[in-house]
Amino acid sequence: MQRDELEDPVSLVRAIANDADRQAFAALFDFYAPRIKGVLVRAGTTPELAEEIAQEALLSVWRKAALFDPARASVATWIFTIARNLRIDHARRGRGVSADTIYKVLSGSDPERPDHRLESAQRDAGVRHALDALTSDQVAVVRLSFYEDKPHAEIAETLGLPLGTVKSRLRLAMTKLREQLEDLT
Amino acid sequence: MTIRHHPNDATLAAFAAGAMDEGRRLVVATHLDICPACRQAARAFEAVGGVALHDEAAALPLSADARKRALDSIEQDLASGQDLPAEKPAVAQAARQSALSAYPLGAWRWIGPGIYWRPVDLASPDTRVFMLKAAPGTALPDHSHTGIEWTAVLQGAFRHDHGRYGAGDFDEADESVEHNPRVEDGVECICLVAMQGQIRFKSLIGRLLQPFVRI
Ligand SMILES: [Zn+2]
Repeated sequence: MQRDELEDPVSLVRAIANDADRQAFAALFDFYAPRIKGVLVRAGTTPELAEEIAQEALLSVWRKAALFDPARASVATWIFTIARNLRIDHARRGRGVSADTIYKVLSGSDPERPDHRLESAQRDAGVRHALDALTSDQVAVVRLSFYEDKPHAEIAETLGLPLGTVKSRLRLAMTKLREQLEDLT
Repeated sequence: MTIRHHPNDATLAAFAAGAMDEGRRLVVATHLDICPACRQAARAFEAVGGVALHDEAAALPLSADARKRALDSIEQDLASGQDLPAEKPAVAQAARQSALSAYPLGAWRWIGPGIYWRPVDLASPDTRVFMLKAAPGTALPDHSHTGIEWTAVLQGAFRHDHGRYGAGDFDEADESVEHNPRVEDGVECICLVAMQGQIRFKSLIGRLLQPFVRI
């Protein structure tokens, strides 16, 4: 089953943390697991592995529900980071240092920056607004590089642009996004 | 500490997206460790990833029994008396350690007058990572690269054509950059470097050093 919208995901995660609520889990599973699988397959992961990672990501949501902090990230962003780390860990096949260890650098809160200035839903609305402000050229490179994990050389080939143009366009697009997002995070 | 040189925004976005090999990820994480501004930007790019996931148009259905299997795993968790989700693992409260401290380091080796090199043991070979330590006043031979050379300065400072790089700074050089860094007087300079491809020395002394610099 797939859902088109998800009512109040923060409450669903809280229901898991506080009441071990299976129905809340099922709702999150139905919404996010197919999306994780879709994103991963488009970025070149096999459907089998993508499904395994989607499963594991949602099980992590259950097990880590109490660690979720809505002041720091939306549920979508939290699940995105869980799936990202699982994808990296699958690629390293158990060797070396876990993605959680590396990305811990982003999970702490900075005392000099007060968190929870905005509710996560407002923040995500702000991100959508910032994405809408990009030109279609910029959206194309952001999409290929950021969502689909394509190397710059491949983007250049796909779009028929010189490598240098791809690099500078990508930087400009990301800088523009960052400027819009600076007040949101 | 005033940080003047940061990874560019596309690099921070790629780090947040996980679209980066292990070596470059480690050097960027080392900069983030000391740079609140870049941490904030990287978190903003994570939020872009979250929105992209939420708005994903090409969701793919999982196999029919996937949700049931997940729920079965959960019942097993609960039956085996594993921590309820509400119980916070103690590890979450543990102090953050630098990403670099999680990696095995080789021994310091002399590679040239005033210059020492120490490999960082990565699981993936795509990008090599090493630490460099150079005595105050050392001039590194004029060189170019066939791939990227990303440097996080941990201590001391060096200068080249593009400016001064002190502790906390990040120098993002690619194959188009040709430079001859010189370490400032004062303290020795220690850097963490991610490198792809080959390093090419221009001068005779550099080429004489090449066999020693197996980096
Ligand atoms: Zn920075």
